[in-house]
Amino acid sequence: MTTRIDAAATSVPRRRWFGRDGALHLSDAAARTCLTRGHHRSSELELVINVGMYKDHGLAEPALASMIQEDLGANLGHPPQAGTHGTFSFDVLNGGVGLITAAHLCDAFVGSGVAKLAMIVAGDADPSPRTTRHYPFSAAGGAVLLAHDDHGAGFQRFLFRTYPEDAGLFVASTRWDPHAGRVRRGRNVLELYEAPAFATRCSEEGRAVVSELLAQVGLPPSGIDLLVTSAYPRTFAQDIARGLGIASDRLPRLPAALARAHTAGPIASLEVAIQSGQFARAKHVVFVTAGAGLTIGAAYYRTDHRAAQLAA
Amino acid sequence: MIGDPWMLSEPRPGIGGFTARFESVGRKLPARRVTTAELMASTRHHTSIDLERLTGITERHVCSKGEDSLTLATDAARDCLARSRHPATDLEMVISASITRHDGDAIHRFEPPLSLTIKEAIGAPRAINFDISNACAGMLTGVFLLHDFIRRGVIRCGMVVSGEHITGLGTNAARSIRTILSPQLASLTLGYAGAAVIVERAESGQPGILRTGFTTLAAHSRLCVGLPATHEPGAKMFTRARKIHEVAMVDGPPLVQQILDDAGLRLDEIDWLIPHQTSVRAIRTGEKVLAERLGEHPKHVVVTVDEYGNTASTTLFLALHRYLTERRLARGDKVLLLSVASGLEVGVVVFVVDELEQTHDHAH
Repeated sequence: MTTRIDAAATSVPRRRWFGRDGALHLSDAAARTCLTRGHHRSSELELVINVGMYKDHGLAEPALASMIQEDLGANLGHPPQAGTHGTFSFDVLNGGVGLITAAHLCDAFVGSGVAKLAMIVAGDADPSPRTTRHYPFSAAGGAVLLAHDDHGAGFQRFLFRTYPEDAGLFVASTRWDPHAGRVRRGRNVLELYEAPAFATRCSEEGRAVVSELLAQVGLPPSGIDLLVTSAYPRTFAQDIARGLGIASDRLPRLPAALARAHTAGPIASLEVAIQSGQFARAKHVVFVTAGAGLTIGAAYYRTDHRAAQLAA
Repeated sequence: MIGDPWMLSEPRPGIGGFTARFESVGRKLPARRVTTAELMASTRHHTSIDLERLTGITERHVCSKGEDSLTLATDAARDCLARSRHPATDLEMVISASITRHDGDAIHRFEPPLSLTIKEAIGAPRAINFDISNACAGMLTGVFLLHDFIRRGVIRCGMVVSGEHITGLGTNAARSIRTILSPQLASLTLGYAGAAVIVERAESGQPGILRTGFTTLAAHSRLCVGLPATHEPGAKMFTRARKIHEVAMVDGPPLVQQILDDAGLRLDEIDWLIPHQTSVRAIRTGEKVLAERLGEHPKHVVVTVDEYGNTASTTLFLALHRYLTERRLARGDKVLLLSVASGLEVGVVVFVVDELEQTHDHAH
């Protein structure tokens, strides 16, 4: 009993005369495309997990996932209907490792059959460009549909490692700056700090975690057919592949608009692989993601026959 | 009930072979207290709101300098471990569920996750850690997740922890409130607290957690919104409290009924109903409506909001801790924890009190 990927989709901001697309819009757009690609209705969703970190206006409550659920029209629950299932939504906040953390949680419910269909949604956009400092990510949304699989295809193993000695290498927080704002009366300011060593340390520990994961599943690096990674730091994917001797053609090539995506980054990589047929051809897929903490989350995924169906 | 149950709930027949149980509950309450009268005296505009009569809240604990979400959560986690037979190294998963993420007085941290700092502080470096955000249902959501992982045998022991540091919400509300209809009125009911709970695999024969269930009634996702203030430090929260209460009264009882049915229990077999603590009046109305709709009464309904205020994600475990400490819960008692939170989230956990009562036998 496993959890397989049924579809993936991303979204980027539209060209507009005024205003901009925020995290909620990007998440909604990716989620709708994902449902269409997966040939599922929103009412089939039993679990929605949002992993986006940078929400419109810095929203702290409610979970953005509940708003996404409402926008998708997924079992809105007024009133709850007897004899049919509802949807449970909440947010996971684990930075760049959010996708793999949420996949681990979904696997608990979907793999076991408690839920049949789950969606992970990721969307980040600068909450307030006038009062944000050093925001490094491109605005992007992403969504992945996860379904129960009786034949063993899907996520096989997850591995998480943290390196708290490197916790200061990437820090994002909102603080009161009494001199910020147009008339310098003070504003809450979102500040992001990235140390020069962050990218290097992500790559070093990412390689170590992938090696540990491969040892656990008995797969040599050369056996990896597809490597799905975080898009940020920019050099992360290439560094992992180079360091482990994995051919560069095993890495999906991201479009420029998604090359600095945060939580949606690995979904963008997955989407490219699915759309190009690379995912369908792959048997052994490794996911590796990196985030502040320093945290590395990795997963081993076996596609088997299911990928061929997906491609068809 | 025929067909699928509305709530995502466990256990399901044939899925997961183990039982989970609450092993230990810890808390941290700041020493300083502020009465409702003192708080209402701080409003900028003259109001005729009798908040104490309206909510039943007489006082709440508030943080002093040097205390924040992280210190409250970490101290609660340490209290929880001090009552536990587990060393911190036994924890395989640490989930932080704080809505407020203050690392410093007015610094809201996004990354790195608070759970990372907490697990390092308590000495659980090998635990998988992540933060969740599910408004006031956060801690119960964490329990829901741990319950599933333990039932399936993926882990044996984990902790859910939260620290709610409400700085700014009350202060900012006090500046703007004029009437009882103010959307920020609910901010004046909030209190500061930390709570932690360890969930572990039960020994054979221990009843432990009988049932867990969660759902999101997303038609009402925008009834309560919290976000950073624009012109002041801290945050603001805008709540349509009356509408949330109406929805909870209409849609809540059938969901509680589902979980009771799944657990093979009637409401009058529940010894202690611990609901989310928003106000004494809301709890009493909810109790009455639940009894009318289900035709039965729980034996007792727990109220702690009068002394603690609404401590957001920690309310259920703060109440559980208090009733364990006061030795009101006895072995074999059936307890129903009920979360109703922004989203609109409804979560239910039903468990049987076992050796948990002994963890509060001695003073800490």
